[in-house]
Amino acid sequence: MRHEDAFRRLPDLLEDRDESELLGHVRDCAECQRQLFLLGRVDRALRVGASTGSRPRRIRPLFAAASVAAVAAAAVLAVLLWPGQHRQPFMLRTSSGALVGEATMLHADARNVSLTLTVHGLPAAPGHMFVLWASDRGATMQAGRFMTDPEGRAHVRFNLPADHDWTHFWITRPGKAPTMVASSV
Amino acid sequence: MTPQPLESELPDGPSDAELLEAIAAGSEAAFEQLRARYRPAVARVCRTIAGSDREDCEQEVFARIWRKAPLFDRRRGSAAGWLLTVARRTALSTHGGRRPPTPVEEDALEGAVEPADVDAFWLVAALERLAERERTVIALAYYDDLSESAIASRLRVPLGTVKTWKRRGLNQLATLLGEEPA
Repeated sequence: MRHEDAFRRLPDLLEDRDESELLGHVRDCAECQRQLFLLGRVDRALRVGASTGSRPRRIRPLFAAASVAAVAAAAVLAVLLWPGQHRQPFMLRTSSGALVGEATMLHADARNVSLTLTVHGLPAAPGHMFVLWASDRGATMQAGRFMTDPEGRAHVRFNLPADHDWTHFWITRPGKAPTMVASSV
Repeated sequence: MTPQPLESELPDGPSDAELLEAIAAGSEAAFEQLRARYRPAVARVCRTIAGSDREDCEQEVFARIWRKAPLFDRRRGSAAGWLLTVARRTALSTHGGRRPPTPVEEDALEGAVEPADVDAFWLVAALERLAERERTVIALAYYDDLSESAIASRLRVPLGTVKTWKRRGLNQLATLLGEEPA
């Protein structure tokens, strides 16, 4: 494999490490090893940015059947009403009732509500990645993604539009057919 | 102050450290280039910390960068780390005059910046340096969690084109990151 071709294809290794020819070149190429290290930092920063909402989130309808199923399951649970006051915690529990975290509105300005999410003991997920959803009964949006440590703990913040009365939060695994992990009940 | 010539003709443009050093020498052109590059990243910090004071915060951050650029020393750390520190401290002081006692977790922001935070801060600025198509593909892949096939369908381009743009964008970001001292 030519060095130029290998260098160009290095980003593939972020997703698929079963490329023996490419890996064989990288093993003997210091320049590719350095670039791969930098690519890893870029990849990590992009994932952090995605989880902390560095890009404005769009309000979008739930599109996946499993997401609809998740909402339906959540609807069976009691919903805490957002009373319009700050620091109202939303307790997040698994379907078995185990408390795994809380979401707290910390600060609001004219446009944004700052939400702090603290979780502990979330079940293992690929890449320790999870998605926090928010709903105001009329609209549902993905508040953001977050990563947990190996013990399932995380402490993250998200911004949500202030022109909604957010009444319900839930956590899923990422993907096209997300599975609900916990919900504010 | 006389605008200084910049090597903006180079494909990647000057590094952040080079811009800060040019600003320290009085280059308004370098200042404008750095401001254009880091405005979204600074806005994010100000929005997170200063809240409703974010517009004042953004202006004050860049005013401080202009004044304090001579203090930047690339041997002591990355330009992005230095800029993030200035932005955070400015945001805290901007917001501090109007707010009640600071919660503990916000006080923690004033300490040394974490490498992962610096990378995330730097990344917002670096994305601005990519061509629109590479930036779009990376945003759809990471922020919207779309597969390459879904991106191709969304953008109405061949799958191979998406792969090429994504690889190129990621490689460019990594190369830019490599220009900055750790």
